[in-house]
Amino acid sequence: MSIVTISRGSSSMGKAVAEKVAATLGYQVLSRDLLLNASDKFHVSQQSLLQALHDAPGLKDRYKNTKQIYIAYVRATLLEMVAGDNVVYHGLAGHLLLKGLDHVLKIRIIGNLENRVMRKMREDGIARHEAQSLILADDAQRKKWTRQIYGVDPADNTLYDMVICIDKLSVDDAAQFICGAANSTAFQSTEACLRKARDLSLACNVKAALVTEFPEVGITCEYGNMLLYATEKIAHNGKFKKILDSLKQDTPGIFNLEVHAGVPVPLDAV
Amino acid sequence: MGQLTPDMILVLIMIALAIFLFIVEWVRVDVVAILMMVALPLLHLVTPKEAFVGLSSNAVVSIIAVIIIGAGLDKTGMINKLVKPVLMVAGTSTSRIIVAISVTVAFISSFMQNIGAAALFLPAIQRISKMQKIPLSRLLMPVGFSAILGGTITLVGCSPLILLNDLLLPFNLKPFGLFDVTPIGLALMASGIACFILLGRFILPQGECQGTEDNEAFCTIDGLAANEEEVNSHYELTTSDDFMDYRDPVHVDDLRRRYLVNVLALTEPPDFKTLSPAPETEIRAGVDLVVCGRKQDVERMALAEEMVLKETIDCYSSEFDTSTSGTVEAVVSPRSQFAGLTLAEIRIQDRFRVTPLEIHRQEETYRAEIDSIALQTGDVIRFYGTWKRLESLHREGGLLFSMPSDLEDMRPEKALWAGGWLVLSLVMIMGFDIQLSVALMTGALGMVITRVISIDEAYQSVDWRTIFLLAGLIPLGIATQKTGTAEWIAGSILCIIGDVSPIVLLTVIGILSTMFTLVISNVGATVLLVPLVVNMAIAAGTDPRMAALVVGLATSNSFMLPTHQVNALYMGPGRYRTVDFIKAGSLVSVVFLVVMIAMISLIYGI
Repeated sequence: MSIVTISRGSSSMGKAVAEKVAATLGYQVLSRDLLLNASDKFHVSQQSLLQALHDAPGLKDRYKNTKQIYIAYVRATLLEMVAGDNVVYHGLAGHLLLKGLDHVLKIRIIGNLENRVMRKMREDGIARHEAQSLILADDAQRKKWTRQIYGVDPADNTLYDMVICIDKLSVDDAAQFICGAANSTAFQSTEACLRKARDLSLACNVKAALVTEFPEVGITCEYGNMLLYATEKIAHNGKFKKILDSLKQDTPGIFNLEVHAGVPVPLDAV
Repeated sequence: MGQLTPDMILVLIMIALAIFLFIVEWVRVDVVAILMMVALPLLHLVTPKEAFVGLSSNAVVSIIAVIIIGAGLDKTGMINKLVKPVLMVAGTSTSRIIVAISVTVAFISSFMQNIGAAALFLPAIQRISKMQKIPLSRLLMPVGFSAILGGTITLVGCSPLILLNDLLLPFNLKPFGLFDVTPIGLALMASGIACFILLGRFILPQGECQGTEDNEAFCTIDGLAANEEEVNSHYELTTSDDFMDYRDPVHVDDLRRRYLVNVLALTEPPDFKTLSPAPETEIRAGVDLVVCGRKQDVERMALAEEMVLKETIDCYSSEFDTSTSGTVEAVVSPRSQFAGLTLAEIRIQDRFRVTPLEIHRQEETYRAEIDSIALQTGDVIRFYGTWKRLESLHREGGLLFSMPSDLEDMRPEKALWAGGWLVLSLVMIMGFDIQLSVALMTGALGMVITRVISIDEAYQSVDWRTIFLLAGLIPLGIATQKTGTAEWIAGSILCIIGDVSPIVLLTVIGILSTMFTLVISNVGATVLLVPLVVNMAIAAGTDPRMAALVVGLATSNSFMLPTHQVNALYMGPGRYRTVDFIKAGSLVSVVFLVVMIAMISLIYGI
């Protein structure tokens, strides 16, 4: 009983491995349906969400916080979708979006460029130079995105529990390694893990409700006790208070909600 | 107008330096006063004896005695007992609430320090604001202003008035009696309250009502008390025998973070009963613990942590007896050493072994992660602990305990003694014309002898900052007078304003005093201005006593800026901005001046 995230570059056989793992463990596979759900829930186009998850923020994004807004939407949706556990997610930035959960097995699948180019040529029926430039552009964009949004390098192995080079391994072999790890005690969900997932989901939902107007507010949640870290100005803003009142009334699972003004935002806040 | 001598120039420089340091506050005001006390004899502007004469002055001794008498009255819980009936009388109308609390605060303030009276009612006003959904900003300023105005009701109500008779001595002028200022003070208080009742909607910030669901339950005072009781009720629980077998260790702090439940008592193996256990204390299997929190939170915790919730406090009944331990509210005072620090930084639990339960700020109540909230002036912190430990926290200073009647060494049985000594002091002053300091010190001594207050408590209650501020500035007044500087300034001012009627002169003095008190302390303003205005009045043929009285009263006319301690205390909780004080304070200040001059003219026939 756990959550598996598979991070991969394009044409790294990540999707095939994810599906095999899900089939072996009897887990549900999540990928593009995340964007569909987020789009439905927050009334934003899938294209905008995809761009937010894929393309590094431009000048306009930084000014309008659009990227931050869409990522908050996607994260809130993803946390709701994984709340039931037994999930394999092979979409973008799963290991970062689910940061803070202990029972998530974070996998990265890598492969050498030559093999990936060959695969891309086969899959898309395109010329070699075109396939190579697409893959390189995609890798560069993801690297930039991860650096700008989370301040880390996606190639940093310490972000993952297991890095698998797919060059010599078959999909079945890779899936077998992953299933073995997923079944180990370290990644079994406990009551504490599930509670943490629920708390993080609640925090992300509150973040999603506030992010458009108040993107700088930090939120933590523990056992349903929600703490919001804001500036004095925001804490006394009428609109902010109104949103919080409706959240308190409409969100089950929130036992207490407080706004602490002028207190440094903890590192684990969303 | 005489010629400026070198000594006069030196005195003027010292005055300018004192005013400059008062304004910029590079050092504390009492340190400025001590600087004057030392610098003036070094510059040969006063003799060494004159430099320290302030410490033995009638005014300083009177202030020490008034503070001790106030502390004695406080110890008996007499003043606290006023709170509840006043709130009952206040009812639900905003105007009635303002009038009832303001009059009470003004009355208390007329015999004890203004700041103490203002702090006493702060938690109660916050509760009323929530209960009646009246913005706190509409209640606090009228009450704060009344606390300041209450200081003008008797000659011992505020430092400038206590000081007044001493400053008149060099001029051989008749001293004022204890209640000579009472009609004027009452009129000032009434006019101040009337300003807010009649024009409150125009001059006070309207604020927002905090009509949350929780508050809606607060429909009556009893309802409020009931709800507060529910929030802070005590529950005893027992952990299961296998509590530690299949879970990560659970600590006291975990329960607070997870369920907002505070552990007030815990049994530690083999059977040590610990009150206010440290946050890192581990909770063991098969032990009893007493917690404080909302019932639903305690039930949630009992369910999740598999604890058995008992129906009553069973094992800890003696420890939780009201004679042993309890809950108090403490207000962070202006100039508190705790302001700007978090409870974690102060290490409140480590040092005093009391449990902070919640923090009230403005209309908000904080119960989660309160250790990391930086305290502000006016914050109300609710603590649980044994009376002994709470008393040691109280002694640390920086926190005004608004409900000290709960403290262990409260002596309600001494209330009659305390009241008796106060009355005796007043009779000595009024009936036998005994000097203020002697009469008041008799009352203070009586309180010590009859054990209303111990001598150590009496010493601790004295605010030495006020004493040194006063004593240190008195030599500056002497130097101003002795060197002829006061006469020279008075002459210069009279030259500028020309021949004016006594009423105009007193009005000018009132405006001058008001301006001074806004930028420097009221004591400083009084010491500097009284010799000056007495000279001015003598030169202009006006009654010099009245000129001095105008200074003594008008230095309480400190409403336009949040510089007065009471204004500073209420500024945070009321979320006032300086512009709010300018708006309301300007009107009250003008009314103050008009009423003061009118009353002096009416009573003393100027």
